Amino acid sequence: MKHLHDITLPAERGLYLPTMCKIVEAKELTKLEKWYRVELPGGQDLGHTPGQFVEVSVLGVGEAPISVSSSPTRQGSFELCIRKVGMLTSVLRTLDTGDTIGIRGPFGHGFNVNEFRGKDVLIVGGGIGIVPLRSLIHYILDRRAEFGRLIILYGTKSPAELLYREELAEWTARDDVEFHVTVDHGNADWTGNVGVITTLIPALQLDLPNTIAAVTGPPVMYKFVLMALKSKRLPDEQVFVSLERRMKCGVGKCGHCQINGKYCCQDGPVFRYTDIKPLEEAL
Amino acid sequence: MECYHLAQKAVPDLLEHLKKIAPVYAPHQKGEKSYSFERVTHASEVVLDYNRTMLSLKKFFLPPTERLLQYSIQKQNVVEEEIKPEKRIFFGVHSYDMQAVLRLDHNMIEGHPEPNYILRRQDAIFIGISFEPDDYHFSRSVGIRVEEMEGFDLFLNKVDTNYYLFILNKEGSDLLKGFQKLKAVKDIVRFERNFKNKLKYHYNRIPEVFQHVYHSEVWQKVAERCVGCGTCNLMCPTCYCFDVMDDVALDVKSGERRRQWDGCMLTPFAEVAGGENFRDKYEQRTRHRVYRKFKYITDQEGVPWCVGCGRCTAFCPAGISLTDIVNNLIQDYENQQYAKTGVVA
Ligand SMILES: Cc1cc2nc3c(=O)[nH]c(=O)nc-3n(C[C@H](O)[C@H](O)[C@H](O)COP(=O)(O)OP(=O)(O)OC[C@H]3O[C@@H](n4cnc5c(N)ncnc54)[C@H](O)[C@@H]3O)c2cc1C
Ligand code: SF4
Ligand code: SF4
Ligand code: FES
Repeated sequence: MKHLHDITLPAERGLYLPTMCKIVEAKELTKLEKWYRVELPGGQDLGHTPGQFVEVSVLGVGEAPISVSSSPTRQGSFELCIRKVGMLTSVLRTLDTGDTIGIRGPFGHGFNVNEFRGKDVLIVGGGIGIVPLRSLIHYILDRRAEFGRLIILYGTKSPAELLYREELAEWTARDDVEFHVTVDHGNADWTGNVGVITTLIPALQLDLPNTIAAVTGPPVMYKFVLMALKSKRLPDEQVFVSLERRMKCGVGKCGHCQINGKYCCQDGPVFRYTDIKPLEEAL
Repeated sequence: MECYHLAQKAVPDLLEHLKKIAPVYAPHQKGEKSYSFERVTHASEVVLDYNRTMLSLKKFFLPPTERLLQYSIQKQNVVEEEIKPEKRIFFGVHSYDMQAVLRLDHNMIEGHPEPNYILRRQDAIFIGISFEPDDYHFSRSVGIRVEEMEGFDLFLNKVDTNYYLFILNKEGSDLLKGFQKLKAVKDIVRFERNFKNKLKYHYNRIPEVFQHVYHSEVWQKVAERCVGCGTCNLMCPTCYCFDVMDDVALDVKSGERRRQWDGCMLTPFAEVAGGENFRDKYEQRTRHRVYRKFKYITDQEGVPWCVGCGRCTAFCPAGISLTDIVNNLIQDYENQQYAKTGVVA
């Protein structure tokens, strides 16, 4: 047990104090999602790892955990992509270049890129789950030689919900990226795959001992993707997932994000599958 | 350890003496049988024989609601609430409540140290007092004797109408400088109290029980009676979860961010966008609360996070008893063990 005499007093302040930052670029990606590039004062580095999140504040409205969707390899500013689902996110939707938001963090454990280095990387993103994965994708693209194959599976409900369209086109064009996209329901213009994301998995040829997977998506997706990966015989230790929970503090104090005995904001949001497999509340 | 005799009638004098050193907080009667830690103005109003206060000492270090930030929306600038460390004497604290503070200390220090809690807590002085266990106390079962003195600076152990006053550290002995009404004693009487309310197992065995009862029917049975009010969370001296909200002034130019006690027993506690609620059933929430007290943190820290104060049971509007829950789980566990060996209980 930790005691008061284990720390130096007075305790350092600032745990809940956001740093006010400028939005330097913003763009609506879809009806619900908006993309932002944000600068810390003085162009300071955020110092995050792919998969970590920040707490985003709008003064007078509130605060929410949002994944950093850019890679630490691209410094000077960082990117967010926010879906409008409620109060704060609706107000965020109205903010644009030149507006100010508060940032705390980065928080939590992201993807351990050292473990990915030298390996084939399989990325599975469902819906808005592509947002934290994009940080990892950019990281790998910026240090392409340090990694093996990069396989990206991305699925949304319909073509209208696809994010980062220009980048998707670039990933499709590159021969060092194996990019597969699918939608649950197509439309007249859609000529690509139709079906849930798991339909993309059986055809994959994987070098099993040398592959690491990163999976993020809506809660319902995990069970099916993990089952599909299991039938490919990819060992569970080589699979990482990023989980979403209600979060109020981001620093292990408010209790909202608990998954049985673990804290999603501290121990996660990225977990090795084998670490959360025994937790009944995880998936 | 130094020990002195203090006559019961000299206790108000001790309180008056302490008040000159720092503000003193002690139990006061609130309702007919309800007590509360309040700032002492008249020593005569302090109640020394009380069963439990409604709220524990956590209300002083982690207030039910507090401002974290103040900001100008117009200027987009934001400042933290200033908190000055303050020397305060908490008088008449029961051992389980002291143990609860030590557990909260751990939760607040671990990982990211929580500055607001620590600033309010760091200069606190604790003077303990013994108590007669009632129908709800079971602190002994979780390893906390009535006379457990860890964390205190002074401790008063009541024997008949006298107190044995134990001086536990330098802070404690400094408090007594200039106080004349003490008589040194050599023969310290050990005094064991009996608890009517008990857990069936030694607390060391309880995490093992919890390994096997995640899917027990006990949770469902409790859920049928629970109304999900969250009282058990608010009253629990080792519950500390909170919610955060922004309040805007009427002129919409400024505002503040506050936090407020929250509870894992409340329905929206684990709900996220898209309507997913990771503990939407009463039974899942009760199970989470009880696992937090006997398993999750206990596995790491080696002691139960429930201190046996009995508050959650005494104040539950549905009459749900925590010791019944745990004892029924133990029963369930035993039945499982018997079933494995083929012996019928
Ligand atoms: C680690 C992590 C990373 C995330 N990354 C992104 C991201 O990159 N982009 C994105 O658009 N969203 C992300 N989210 C989800 C985002 O935090 C929520 O959508 C947001 O908090 C909703 O806030 P709101 O005020 O708009 O909604 P509210 O008006 O508060 O409520 C709308 C719904 O959101 C739920 N909710 C409220 N607070 C939270 C909370 N703190 N966390 C989760 N759900 C909540 C409510 O229960 C309600 O169902 C992430 C969440 C986590 C935990
Ligand atoms: S106090 Fe009783 S009724 Fe209220 S949430 Fe706790 S167990 Fe349920
Ligand atoms: S769980 Fe109940 S008995 Fe245990 S410390 Fe909390 S309020 Fe007291
Ligand atoms: S978000 Fe507050 S404890 Fe994890």
